[in-house]
Amino acid sequence: MMMRSAYEVFRKDVHSEFRTRYAMNALIMFVIVALSIILFSIGDESVTPGVLSGILWVIIFFSGMSGLSRSFVSEEERGTVLTLQLLTEPSAVYAGKLLFNLILTVSLNLFIAVMYVLLVQQFVVQSPAIFWVTILLGSAGIAAAATILAAIIAKANTKGTLYPVLAFPIMLPLLLTVMNATRLATEGAPFSEAAGEFQVLVAYTVVVIAVSVILFDFVWKD
Amino acid sequence: MYDFLASNQLYIVMCIVLINWFGLLAYLFRIDGRLRKLEQSTYAKDEKA
Amino acid sequence: MIRSTTGKALLSIWLTLVIVAGLAMPMVPVPRTWYELPWIPGLEQKARIILFHVPMAWVTLVAFISAMVYGIQFLKTKNLDYDLKSVNAAGLGTVFCILATVTGSIWAKFNWGSFWNWDPRETSIFILLLIYGAYFALRSSIEGAEKRAALSAAYSIIAGVTAPFFIFVMPRIMSGLHPGAKGDEGGAAPVAQLHMPPNMLVVFFASLLGFTMLYVWLFSVRMRISKLEEHH
Repeated sequence: MMMRSAYEVFRKDVHSEFRTRYAMNALIMFVIVALSIILFSIGDESVTPGVLSGILWVIIFFSGMSGLSRSFVSEEERGTVLTLQLLTEPSAVYAGKLLFNLILTVSLNLFIAVMYVLLVQQFVVQSPAIFWVTILLGSAGIAAAATILAAIIAKANTKGTLYPVLAFPIMLPLLLTVMNATRLATEGAPFSEAAGEFQVLVAYTVVVIAVSVILFDFVWKD
Repeated sequence: MYDFLASNQLYIVMCIVLINWFGLLAYLFRIDGRLRKLEQSTYAKDEKA
Repeated sequence: MIRSTTGKALLSIWLTLVIVAGLAMPMVPVPRTWYELPWIPGLEQKARIILFHVPMAWVTLVAFISAMVYGIQFLKTKNLDYDLKSVNAAGLGTVFCILATVTGSIWAKFNWGSFWNWDPRETSIFILLLIYGAYFALRSSIEGAEKRAALSAAYSIIAGVTAPFFIFVMPRIMSGLHPGAKGDEGGAAPVAQLHMPPNMLVVFFASLLGFTMLYVWLFSVRMRISKLEEHH
C-alpha cells in the first residue's frame, strides 16, 4: 500500500517534470554555463588534479542546489500540499520525493561528470572504477540530504537563498569525502584505497535517510 | 606588536583571557538591553492602569 | 543551585581562581612543588592558552547538543517552552563559538604562523559556526511559532547527526596542525592529549567546570528574560 502510493507520488512528479521540463532545461543550462566559465578561466594554465576534483564537486553541489528544491517548493507554490496530506501518508510522500530526487541527481551528475571528463583535458581519471562509484554514491548522499532540506525550506519565506545556506554545513562531510575520493581516482589509486571513503558515503546516506524518515512527519504536517 | 607578543608569550594568554571577558561583557550588555526594554514597557503599563 | 546567591558567589570566586592560577602558576624546566608547571619547548607560555580556549569550544558543543535535545523534546511534546530553551541555548552557543574561533586563531597565529590553517579542529568549529548561522537564518524566515519550532528542531537534529561524520572524514583529508593530530611531532603533543601534569590537569578541569556553570547561569538569565517577554 505504502509502496504503491510512494510510486504514485514519484510518477506524478515525473509526469509534471516531463510536461514542463522545468528542472531539466534549467539544470542543463546551468551546467553548461558553469563548465564554460571554468574552461575560460583555466585557459592554458596547469591546474592540479586536487583543485580540479574540487571544482567538479562545486558544480555538482550548486547544480543540485538550484534544482532539487523544486520537488517540495512546487507543491507549496501550486497549493497541492493539502491534497497530498489528505490523500497519502507522509512516509509515502517522502519515499516518492526521495526516489524522484535520487534519479534526477544521479542522471544529472552522470551528465556533469561525462561533460567534465570530456571537456576539461587536464582532468584525467586514472582509476575509472573509483571515479564512477564516487559519482553514484555521492549523488545518493546529496539526494538524501537535499530531500529533507527541501521539505524544510518549502515552508520558509526565502526559499532560494536559504537552501544552500542550510545545505552546506550538512553536506560538507559528504563533499570533503567525495573530493578526496575523486582526487584518489585522478592519482590512479587502487580500488581498495578508496574503500574507507565509500564506507563513509554509504553510512552518511543511510543515516540521513533514517533520520529523515523519522523527522519527515513533523516537517510535513502543518 | 607581533614581535612583542611573540617574545612575551604570557601576554598572548592575557589577550585570550581578555577576549573571553570582553565577549561575555558584550553579551551581558545585550541581555541587559533586552531587560531594560521589558522594564520600560512594564512601567508604562503600570502608569496607564 | 546556580539560582542561589551563594552559588553565584562561589562560581565567581571559582572562575577568578582559575584565571589567576592559569596566568600565575610559574613555568620551570623541572617542576618541584605543586604550583610549578613544566616548561615545554616549542609551546612555552602558550601552553596556558588551552586553559582558556578549550572551555569555550567545550561550552559551544554543550550548547549545541542541548539545543538539539530541547528540539527533540519539543517535537515529542509540542510544548513551546522547549523551543524557547532551544533558541536560547543556540544563541549562547553562538557567543561561545565566536570566542572559541577568535581565541583559537590567535593561538594558531603564534604557534603555526597564520591565523587560519583549516586543520581538523579549526574546521569543526567553523562548521559549528555555519550551523548556528543557518539555524538562525532558517528561524527568521518562518512565520508561525509552531512551524518555526518544528522546522528548526528538525534542522538541528539533521545537523547533529551529520556533524559527527567529520570525526571520520577529517583525518583522511589532511594531516592536522593541532597538538596530537597526525603529523605533529615535537613538543606540542603532550598538553592536548591530557598528558598534562596533574596540577595543570586540575586547573584545566576546574576551568571546564567553571565555564560550563557560567553557561548554565547565563542560560537561566536568558530564559527568565524570554519568559518575561512572552508575557508582554
